[in-house]
Amino acid sequence: MVSAVSTSDLNLDLCAQEPIRFPGSIQPHGTLVVVDPNSRRIVQASANAPALLGQRRGSSVLGLSVTELVGETAERQINAWLANPDSNYLRTLEVNGERLQVLGHQTAQGIILEFEQPPASEGETLEAYYPRVGRFMEDLPAYEDVADLCAAAAREFRQISGFNRILIYRFDEQWNGEVLAEDGDGVLPSYAGLRFPASDIPTQARELYRLNRLRVIPDANYTPVPIEPPLDPGGKPLDLSFAALRSVSPVHLQYMRNMGTLASMSISVLVDGRLWGLVSAHNATPRRVNAQARTACDLLGKVLSQHIGARERGAYAAKRMALKQVESELLTKIASSDSFQSGLGAHASTWLNVVGASGAAVLHDDAVFTAGTAPAPERLRALAEKLHQQGTDCFVTDSLSLQWPEFSDIVDVASGVLAISISQLHSSYILWFRPEVERTVLWAGDPRAAKQVDNERLTPRHSFASWKELVKGRALPWSQAEIDGAVDFRSAIINFVLRRAEERAELTSQLQRSNRELESFSYSVSHDLRAPFRHIVGYTQLLRERERSLSPQSLHYLDSINEAAVSAGQLVDDLLSFSQLGRTALSMSPVDMQKVVQEIVRSVAPDTRGRQIEWRIQRLPPANGDAALLRQALYNLVDNALKYSRDRSPAIIEISGEQHPSECVYTVRDNGVGFDMAYAHKLFGVFQRLHRMEDFAGTGIGLALTQRIIERHGGWIEARGALDEGAEFRFGIPLKGASVDG
Amino acid sequence: MADLRPILLVEDNLKDIELTLAALAKCQLANDIVVARDGAEALDYLYCRGQHQDRLGGDPAVVLLDLKLPKVDGLEVLATIKSDAATRSIPVVMLTSSREESDLIRSYELGVNAFVVKPVDFNAFFEAIQDLGMFWGVLNETPPRIASGGSVEKKQ
Repeated sequence: MVSAVSTSDLNLDLCAQEPIRFPGSIQPHGTLVVVDPNSRRIVQASANAPALLGQRRGSSVLGLSVTELVGETAERQINAWLANPDSNYLRTLEVNGERLQVLGHQTAQGIILEFEQPPASEGETLEAYYPRVGRFMEDLPAYEDVADLCAAAAREFRQISGFNRILIYRFDEQWNGEVLAEDGDGVLPSYAGLRFPASDIPTQARELYRLNRLRVIPDANYTPVPIEPPLDPGGKPLDLSFAALRSVSPVHLQYMRNMGTLASMSISVLVDGRLWGLVSAHNATPRRVNAQARTACDLLGKVLSQHIGARERGAYAAKRMALKQVESELLTKIASSDSFQSGLGAHASTWLNVVGASGAAVLHDDAVFTAGTAPAPERLRALAEKLHQQGTDCFVTDSLSLQWPEFSDIVDVASGVLAISISQLHSSYILWFRPEVERTVLWAGDPRAAKQVDNERLTPRHSFASWKELVKGRALPWSQAEIDGAVDFRSAIINFVLRRAEERAELTSQLQRSNRELESFSYSVSHDLRAPFRHIVGYTQLLRERERSLSPQSLHYLDSINEAAVSAGQLVDDLLSFSQLGRTALSMSPVDMQKVVQEIVRSVAPDTRGRQIEWRIQRLPPANGDAALLRQALYNLVDNALKYSRDRSPAIIEISGEQHPSECVYTVRDNGVGFDMAYAHKLFGVFQRLHRMEDFAGTGIGLALTQRIIERHGGWIEARGALDEGAEFRFGIPLKGASVDG
Repeated sequence: MADLRPILLVEDNLKDIELTLAALAKCQLANDIVVARDGAEALDYLYCRGQHQDRLGGDPAVVLLDLKLPKVDGLEVLATIKSDAATRSIPVVMLTSSREESDLIRSYELGVNAFVVKPVDFNAFFEAIQDLGMFWGVLNETPPRIASGGSVEKKQ
C-alpha cells in the first residue's frame, strides 16, 4: 500500500533470495536425524549424529533403525509421544547413557528428530515456570495499553530466559520494527524507542517467523554441521522450516556480531494470523536455553499474542462503532438532501468525522464539493483522474507525495488520502485528506546503511547507534477501522446513488408517459378541433355564394363568423406549432441566414402589396441551427415588424447581423408603433398582447414561439423599444450549436 | 382523356364530404365521385368486394384519403394500396386536418403521392381541392392495371 520512507530501496535485499528454509546444515548444539515413517530407518542425519551412539558403532547412522540409534526404551517413548504429540518438544530422555532433550515433528520428507544436550545449568523444570506464567496471566488485564502490557511481558521473558536484554517490537505497515518495550540488565545497550528497518528481517524470514514461532541461536560464532546426504531420497533438499536446530543465514550471524549479541532467541507475536511483532532476546555472550524455558517462553508468547489481539480487536470494534454512528448520522442527513453531494457539503463536519479527516471532497457529475481543508479543484480532478487510471475501489495512503511525486505540491493538506470510488464508469470519488505531520524517527543505526557490500560480501550495518531521521510528506496513518468505515460508507453511497437513479428512471418514465398522453392529446386537437372551424368557414362561404341578395348587415354577420372561425383555426395551428416545438429534435446544420431573409422578404411580398416598405438588409453571418425553425423564428420577427409598422410610410425594416467569437447576433428593427419598455417582459409570453385585438390581429403566440426556438438553440433574445419609436429585437445563436431539450 | 375514371373520396365526416363535393363540383369535373365512409369500404371498393363486388372493374383516377377513419385508418389503407403491385400505381392524396409531422413523414414513407393539410380558410380549401381534382382526376395518366379486377392477390 505504502512504501517505506528512505529505506524502501533496501527492501530489494539479497538476503531475500537466500534459501533460509533449506540451509543444508544445522547449528552444532544438537543433532538431527530424519526417519522414514514406513521403514522407521534413518535416511538423513547431521554429520555429528554418530556421536549420539558414543564410540560403540561405526561412523554412520544412515540406515539404522531408531531402536538401533537410541535404544529400545527411548524408541518406545519416542514412538508413543510421536503418536500423540502436544508440542514439538517431546521429553528429556536417557539416550545411550546421556540425558538428551528430544524434539520431533513430522514433515513430508520424514520424521525429524532433534537431540540437544541440556545446558550445563539445566535450570528449572517446566512445572517450576507455572506459577510465574500463571501470575503474569492474572496481571495481564490490569495493563492499560499495549506498551504497558509489553513492558510487563519483557520483564517476564527476561526472568525466564535469563538473557541480558529483551526487546518487544511491533511492525509498522512498512514492516519496520518499533521497539515498544525493553527489559535489560545493563550489559547490552538500550534500544528503547528505536526503530529497526524492514530490511533487517527479509520477507521470507518474516513468513518463516509466522509459521515457526520460536528460534534460538545459542552462539553466533558457531560452525554449521552439514546434513548428510544433503538431498532426501526424492532428490530434494531437506526442509528445516520447523526444525529448532535450523542453521541461519551468515548475514544474520554477522548482524548479531555487529550488534554485539552472540546469543539470541526470538518469539513471534501473531495477531489474527499476521506477524504483529517480535519478542527478541539477546545475550552478549553465547547462551543456551533449556527446552523447558523455551516452552515457557513460547507459552508466554502465545498469551501475549492473544491479549494484544483481544485488545486490538476491542479497540477496533469500539472505533468502528463510534465511526458507524457518525456514518449513520451522516447518511440520515444525506437521505433528506437533494443529492448526496449537497448532503455531504451541508454537513461538512460530520463528513470529516466519518474517518477523522481534516479535509474532504466529492467529485461526481463534473461537480466538486469540498469540506474542511482540501486541495484546489483542479488538483482534485487530477487526483481523481490518477485514481481512475489505477482502477481501485478504495485507495489509502499516508504519504501521497512519496507514492505519486506529481502531487508533492499538495502534501501540506493531502499527505494522507483515503479515497473511495462511487462509480464503475466515471471518475467519481469521495476523498478524505489528512495534512502532513513532520516527525522524528529514531532508527537503530542509519537505515540506509542497513546492508552494505564489503569485498563483494553482503554485510549488515556495523553501527546500531541511534540515528535521527526527520520524516516529511507523511500524515497520521488511517486506522483499519477508519478504512473499513470508508468502505462501508462507499456501499451506502452507491446504494443511495442507485436508489436515486431508480427514482429518476421512474420519474422519467412517468414523464414519458405524460408526454405521450400530451402528444396524443395534441394530435386529437389538431384533427378534431380544426375540423369544425373549417366547416364553419366552408358553410359561411357556401351560404354567401348561394344567397346573392343578402343585406349588408347579414353580409357583415357572415364575414364576422368567417373571420372568427379563421382566426380560431389559426390559433389552433399556432398552439400546435408551439407544442410541437418542444417535442421535435433539432436537426442542426449551418444555415445561410442571408438566403433565409431573402426568402422571407419574398414570401411576405403578396401580403404587403401597396405598402411603402424600405428594406435595409445587411450582410448576415451564417448560423448553426435547425434551418426550418430558424426561418420560423426570423419570419415571426419580420412579420411582427411589418405588422406594427403598417401605418408608417415608408415602413423601414432593418435586418442586420454580426459575428462574435462565441455566437452570432441578429437584429430586426422597425420604425413602427413600438412598445412601452415597462411591458417588455410580457412580450414573449404565450397569449400576451400589448395591443388591442382590433388594432393588430394575431394570436399572441408568434414571439413566444420565436423565443422558444432561440432557447432551444441555446441562445437568447431581447427586445427594446419605446412607444411610437419603433422596436428592436436582437437574438444570439451560439456558434457551437447546443440543442436544449424541451 | 376519353375515359374519365371516378375519383374515390374516403372521408367519414359528413360535413367534410359535403364541402369537398361542393369544391369538386365548382371545378366542374366530369369524373364520377365515389364516396367511401371508412377505410374498410375504400379497400372493398378498390378490390371489388363486399358491397362493391358487383361494380365494374377499373381503378379510380385518384384516391382522396382522409387520415383519421373508422375501422381501417388512412395510413393502413395507404399501406395496403402501396404494398400491392396491382394497386400501387393508383395515385393517393392524403387529405387531412392533421398538421402532425409524424403523419406526413409516415405517409411519404408509405409512398403517398401528395399530402394536403386541409386549410381552415374555405377559399384556400377550394383551391386545393380544385387543383387536386384537375391534376389527378383529369391530367394525370395512370398506367393500366396489370391483373384483372376481381382476382387480385392481396398483401397485408
